[in-house]
Amino acid sequence: MARLRVVPVTAARLGPRLLVAVVAALALLWVAPIAWMFTTGIKPAPEIFALPPTWIPQRPTLDHVHEVLSRWPFLRWTLNSVVVAGATTVLSVLVSVPAAYAFSRLRWRGRDAIFLVFLSSMLIPLEVNVIPLYFLMNRLHLLNTYPAVFLPMIGMPIGIFLLRQFYINIPGELDDAARVDGCGNLRILWHVILPLSRPALAALVIYMFTFAWNEFFWSMIALSSPQMFTLPIGLRALQGAYDIDYGVLMAGAAMAVLPTLMLFLFLRGSIIRGITMTAHK
Amino acid sequence: MRRRYGRIVEIALFILPFAAFWILFRLGPVLYGFFISLYRWDPLGDAKFIGARNYLNLARDPRFWNALVNTLEFAAIAIPLIVGIGLVLALFIFAGRKRRVTTWLEAGFFFPYLLTVSVVGLIWRWLLDPDFGIVLIALRDMGIDPPVFLNEPRWAIPAIALATAWWLAGYRMLLFRAALEDIPDEFYEAARIDGASGALVFFSIVLPLLRPAILFALVLTTISGFIVFGQVLIMTAGGPGRASEVLALYLYRFGFEYLEMGQAAAVGMVLFLIILGMTLVSFRWLGFESSL
Amino acid sequence: MGWREESAHSTPVSRRTFLKTTAAAAAVAAVGAARIPSVMAQERVTTLDYYTLFHSGDAAAMERIVRLFNTENRAVRLNLLQGQWAEYYAQLFAAVGSGNAPHIGICHSSRVMDVYRALTPLEESRAGNLLDAAGIRAPQYTKSVWDAGVFEGKRYLVPLDTHMWGLWYNKDLFRRAGLDPDKPPESREDFERAADAIKTRTGQFAFHPAEDALPRKLRRAWEMLFWGGGGSLLTPDGKRAAFNDERGMRALDYLVGMIHRRGWNAPGTDGFKQFAAGQLGMLIAGNWYFPTAKAAGVNFGFHYVPKFFEKPTTWGDSHNLVIPRQRPERASDDVLVAAARAIKWINERSSIWGIYGGHIPAFLPAQRAKDLQDSETWQIALSKFAYMANQGWLHYPLVHPLAPRVHAAIEPHIQEAYNGRLTPRDALTRAEAEVNRVLTG
Repeated sequence: MARLRVVPVTAARLGPRLLVAVVAALALLWVAPIAWMFTTGIKPAPEIFALPPTWIPQRPTLDHVHEVLSRWPFLRWTLNSVVVAGATTVLSVLVSVPAAYAFSRLRWRGRDAIFLVFLSSMLIPLEVNVIPLYFLMNRLHLLNTYPAVFLPMIGMPIGIFLLRQFYINIPGELDDAARVDGCGNLRILWHVILPLSRPALAALVIYMFTFAWNEFFWSMIALSSPQMFTLPIGLRALQGAYDIDYGVLMAGAAMAVLPTLMLFLFLRGSIIRGITMTAHK
Repeated sequence: MRRRYGRIVEIALFILPFAAFWILFRLGPVLYGFFISLYRWDPLGDAKFIGARNYLNLARDPRFWNALVNTLEFAAIAIPLIVGIGLVLALFIFAGRKRRVTTWLEAGFFFPYLLTVSVVGLIWRWLLDPDFGIVLIALRDMGIDPPVFLNEPRWAIPAIALATAWWLAGYRMLLFRAALEDIPDEFYEAARIDGASGALVFFSIVLPLLRPAILFALVLTTISGFIVFGQVLIMTAGGPGRASEVLALYLYRFGFEYLEMGQAAAVGMVLFLIILGMTLVSFRWLGFESSL
Repeated sequence: MGWREESAHSTPVSRRTFLKTTAAAAAVAAVGAARIPSVMAQERVTTLDYYTLFHSGDAAAMERIVRLFNTENRAVRLNLLQGQWAEYYAQLFAAVGSGNAPHIGICHSSRVMDVYRALTPLEESRAGNLLDAAGIRAPQYTKSVWDAGVFEGKRYLVPLDTHMWGLWYNKDLFRRAGLDPDKPPESREDFERAADAIKTRTGQFAFHPAEDALPRKLRRAWEMLFWGGGGSLLTPDGKRAAFNDERGMRALDYLVGMIHRRGWNAPGTDGFKQFAAGQLGMLIAGNWYFPTAKAAGVNFGFHYVPKFFEKPTTWGDSHNLVIPRQRPERASDDVLVAAARAIKWINERSSIWGIYGGHIPAFLPAQRAKDLQDSETWQIALSKFAYMANQGWLHYPLVHPLAPRVHAAIEPHIQEAYNGRLTPRDALTRAEAEVNRVLTG
């Protein structure tokens, strides 16, 4: 695929309208696969395989949706994903906030060295540890339970990294003022730092929730019964069983996408802001 | 004296919860994984110490090297695609930032990032289906005779890489767009007053200022490219033949289909070392320590 | 039949016992209707975890059976967990290893050699001879499947079904091609003639040899042709590959030729989909395809696999019910007996398995049951499958401790040959090299 070399500062020359039109067409093409998934999910099987393909279903049907919902615990999968992602996010925030505070606002020996050690593992993904994690969870009799899935995702350094970057930029005078008033570290954290760190917390929450919601490899190994699957694993099981039936597969995928789409339409601004916030200096 | 200990205890309490999880579920498994890789494991749990034999088996297994090469090939194609497309899209969005419709366009490019890997794999598998995939049908209508991408050894990985780029480029786009906004307007103004051409401005001013963001995106993307798994499993299951069997898939198969847990753990160790190496190198590169 | 009859008191009830029982019943009733659930819980209900690897049509059929079981049995409950096919055995081993094994599981006949270690030997369990306790006897089962359930003199498997591949064909396409829809081909010449006719006269795909052409299915298609010439995958001692010979070559060459010389189909296509869309004349697929073919609305028929080479041969395997090894703390002797009896019960109802899952029950009374014999599944397809089994045309896959790895070593090369990117000679040579490496490594 050729890399387009477009230079934006000459937009004035290109004609801004033309530019927007081109980008809009590109955006439409970009989301077309998602639309195609939705239409396939509501087409009856013969129409799915008809040539030439139709964009608007001529005889839309909810049969595939019904098939997914009646034969598979799809709602349970969604619930499982919510539980796992929720637990990961909440616990991550709970452990990361005080740790990030200690690494940024307090001075103590070995602080930077220890932080570097944690940081060095930040980019190391969960996947390299699946075998030892499997052994570990087996020993603890936690296989096929929620904790097996969310516990390994909590000690991720991204949380302390993000929060620490933010805390560092909070002026130290606020701390000093509070200390003069007799506040201990905990109260400073709770009353001074936390209220100011809403943007960073939001960014972390979005990141962790999305990460945990979409986690695939480890979840696939840790969960063995369809009742416990999270949504990504459930969809894969759907494919394993119905690798011949695209109507059912697309209906299942569409149902999985729908809540995300709804959420995105409502919270689009906040989500994007949350992510770009981490990118701004 | 008591205050010193009190302080140490207090700091420890702040850090302990995080450290506990990190030690139990990040550091511990790495050490445990190394331990496991030195044994031959019976599926029922008995173990036989075999030292470095698992690693020797890997070195002697052409299938392992094939997986490594496939992984590198995927990384080499997917990373420039993801970062490059992200950059280009960011430039477009930034150029049109004064218009309201642009926020919607940006949202459209970004949305696939929120999908789970299963959905991405299923959508693209359907798009590229040999009999009824609409991409192939469209190409045929245009007079091109397309290869059946997912069933051709030379096209399987590029096709998966393209699907991955569609999925992940939106996130990089946001990062770059934010970085572009951080460049003070004076830079653009000064360049325009000087009558500099667009290309000159881009290459001599914008690109250097974006360097940290680009490097950061490159590192992140490279590492995630190394452990690619979900899309491959769903789109081709490593096929055709072994043409798209990547390291993570090799690990999974040896661990959970052939029940060679020791050897699978060894693959995990190899992956860990590669990624650790890349992490340390990139930290030097990006100057992470200086930002402390 | 259930064992609740057996557990009922067989001694005469004395008056005192009667009064006591009545008083107890009254007390229970007095506690109130709202507390009935907890009262039920106070009865000793044995819950058995039943872990399977079925999916799609099979899974639905097994769910029916389990629902029936739970309705008819009050003292025992089956808790059905349908697991994933690919990781089933790994999960099973992990569960046994950690002491949480399901009480009842599934095992393919072809896997007994590497799975047996996770299973309870049924005649010598710590609770005694479970087969006797449950009334499971050899003459009630298809002989070949029964015999396959033993390893090193110990019995681990109780047969559930046999499943195999057969020839599905599209009657409308037959008619359009000028063929008699009620006389599907049986000999190789007739078959080739029919396929060519479909290809030239209808313009649709003539034939697909392997379901959805997944690597393991392509390997099975080649194996069928290979076994038809009397070949076997490994040497008798199981230490070296034995398929890179003229029989293996002939089989692979014929398979590849179907696509690349005769043009009966294209590489990488999915026969299931093609057939369901009415675009495929003939398909080789398993008995479980019946519900799909039905639902697709295609006017289809079914017949035996044609005799391609010296002997008509089809690929098949059997599912068996097993009792994985249990810790005494988790499963008392009574529980083991209950599990064995549940297995017998499932066998007795396995005509349901045949009708809705499309498999041939290995339990002969179920195979001969009226509801199965009268069903469409039997009339159209299963009766012919049973015929193939009875004629001895069914060939099991490789039984060997390293079978999964041996298969994995062969599959990619067969697939590449099928796709036209490797000559059959190269494919077999590479497969042989890899298999030997697996067997010696």
